Amino acid sequence: MGESITFWVLAVVSVIAALGLVFSRRAVYSALMLGVVMLSLAVLYAVQDAPFLAAVQIIVYTGAVMMLFLFVLMLVGVDSSDSLVETIRGQRFWAIVAGLGFAALLGLGIGNTLIAAPKGLAVANQNGNVPSLAELIFTRHVFAFEVTSALLITAALGAMVLAHRERTEPKPTQRDLSRARFVEFGRHGKNPAPLPGPGTYARHNAIDMPALLPDGTVSPLSVNRVIARHEAEEGTLAPEVAQILQQEEEGK
Amino acid sequence: MNGTIQAPTIEYALLAPMLVVFGAAIVGVLVEAFAPRYLRSAIHVPLTLLSLAGAFALTIWQAAAKGIPTKAAAMGAVAVDGPALFIWGTILVLAFVSVLLIKGEDHFVAAASAVPGSAEEEQALHEGAAHSEIYPLVLFAVGGMLLFPAANDLLVAFVALEVMSLPLYLLCGLARRRRLLSQEAAVKYFLLGAFSSAFFLYGTALLYGYAGSIDLAKISTAVGSVGGQDTLLYIGAAMLGVGLLFKIGAAPFQAWKPDVYQGAPTPITALMASGTLVAAFGALVRVFWVGLGGLDWDWRPVLYGVAILTMVVGAVLAITQTDIKRMLAYSSIAHGGFLLVGVIATGKAAAQNASALSGILFYLVAYGFTTVGAFAVVTMVRDAGGEAWHLSRWAGLGKRSPLLAGIFAFFLLAFAGIPLTSGFFGKYAVFQAAVSGGALPLVIVGVVASAVAAFFYVRVIVLMFFSDPAADGPSIVLPSRGTAAVVGLAVLATVVLGVYPQPVLDLAHSAAQSLFVR
Repeated sequence: MGESITFWVLAVVSVIAALGLVFSRRAVYSALMLGVVMLSLAVLYAVQDAPFLAAVQIIVYTGAVMMLFLFVLMLVGVDSSDSLVETIRGQRFWAIVAGLGFAALLGLGIGNTLIAAPKGLAVANQNGNVPSLAELIFTRHVFAFEVTSALLITAALGAMVLAHRERTEPKPTQRDLSRARFVEFGRHGKNPAPLPGPGTYARHNAIDMPALLPDGTVSPLSVNRVIARHEAEEGTLAPEVAQILQQEEEGK
Repeated sequence: MNGTIQAPTIEYALLAPMLVVFGAAIVGVLVEAFAPRYLRSAIHVPLTLLSLAGAFALTIWQAAAKGIPTKAAAMGAVAVDGPALFIWGTILVLAFVSVLLIKGEDHFVAAASAVPGSAEEEQALHEGAAHSEIYPLVLFAVGGMLLFPAANDLLVAFVALEVMSLPLYLLCGLARRRRLLSQEAAVKYFLLGAFSSAFFLYGTALLYGYAGSIDLAKISTAVGSVGGQDTLLYIGAAMLGVGLLFKIGAAPFQAWKPDVYQGAPTPITALMASGTLVAAFGALVRVFWVGLGGLDWDWRPVLYGVAILTMVVGAVLAITQTDIKRMLAYSSIAHGGFLLVGVIATGKAAAQNASALSGILFYLVAYGFTTVGAFAVVTMVRDAGGEAWHLSRWAGLGKRSPLLAGIFAFFLLAFAGIPLTSGFFGKYAVFQAAVSGGALPLVIVGVVASAVAAFFYVRVIVLMFFSDPAADGPSIVLPSRGTAAVVGLAVLATVVLGVYPQPVLDLAHSAAQSLFVR
């Protein structure tokens, strides 16, 4: 009784989450939906006498793999959206047809089999769930598990090959960078100090405000040219900044 | 705790060839970690070659001195039987030859992480940086290739499939020239390969649901005894078939092959075209004959169709190619079709099965050597920007370098199956088994497809010998000792197997005689 209640609740939750995973436009939502599906599966495993599998499902899939997905999404940028342009004409339509056809084939095929009354895991779990699994893993399937190590080493090595670039010259220290700045100053007169920050007035707290020099004039170095250009287009540019830009234009 | 676990028995001596290869790969990784940069390739090359040679010697020793085992090893996970030992020997020799090719010239990118065309890449090239990780990766791939055809249950087969494929996905993307094409090839291969592995895994799950076991032998007994769940069996077998047919590049799952063969560094293409094909055929035959042997009335018509489609697609599309590597890729697809003819040629009698199997084994050896040789020749015909890939650049090669063009023409004739080359006896052995297995129409299609295929091989030969060389034609690089050895060995194998094939035919026959262990 408890099992079937759990099943029907989780079935609804996981199917809705799976649909959300497919149809959600934002990758992060899809990833979180996937997390919901995995957690529901874990609970279903636990209900069906497989506590070890349930724990592994949560620790490995929901814990590690999901976090990896999220890391990747965050690195790529949460807001970046996929290009949905069809590169092959009619691809989406035929993909949907083929997908639905495949699902129907599987559903009908598996639905049509005569499934005998479930035996449950009582026999397999005779010596306890974890010891029984351990026996299989360390005797019958020991070789498969040992060979998997080759896969893990390959994966680590591959990640190194594709992503790691060995530094061939020493990393410049603070001292080197500072020296280079002053060499530049000596040769071309380039200001070695950092650029002044934007000004903050009593009425503003924004980076598009220019900083004021001690004599009360505007410091041209503090004006962010990109923002100024946008503001000039919108017509919201402060007059003193516009004057500076004007002077620079004429100076060229 | 009431039960104690019996320690598993693992026949280390039987598995030694595979363990040597994996062990050398791990040592190679340690070399990467601890040896200084200038020493690395000086250590890797002998380590890799010695381990492959040692594994080959162990395989021979096992077959000759200790006899062919009649029971699966490692608690029933790995079946080291006659066909498996023969395939191991073949793969090890082909891998050895491919490693000679890898070592030969600069085929690989200087720094894989540098964006193609960037200043970083130029700097890496200038410094002469190199990825010596290639050697351990190749060894891991070879280890997977050894395990795949010997896998006695579907779990080991799946793990082996991944161990074999993952390093190859990586190696595909490491070409030194035309890097964007190479990276595209790697991504395509990875995505499609992952997709096909998922099919394989789903099929495994359904077959487990049907038979209650993933052992090939137990699935085989369940095929006759479990009732009422046939759809599970059919869908599972079909999905398993998709995964396996993808790996051999049979139509309609052949789309990856031309792109990947074209983009990958040529020595890796040679390794894939020879070793991977051999391993995948070994696994295909084992799964279909041992695991699904009782189902042959159902899968035979499907494979019949797939074989015809593969031969026709491979032979016809090869005609339209202008890139030499793509042409060889389509030729490899067509040869996959010819080999599938042998897979169908099963019968009630054990002798029929043995003759079909020995035909397949001989064909794999013959084709493997020839294809490695052909790709080795491709590496030697160079333009300023790397290999001269466009077929028009090969025009008049026979007048510039008669020896090289002659060797290439000889390989092409072997692909076409002209008598006195190894290809002839390969096709003969497979087709003869198919005729006696009652698949005459298939053999007729095969012969017609061979004739079509011969057309484009001959077209290349005509292009090389009877057209005028371009003024700024490609240069023929002086081959390194490794490349020269590869070409020489391939020519030798193609000639010997074409003129005096009996010893290898006998060997294949005696390997096939015991069939697969169950």
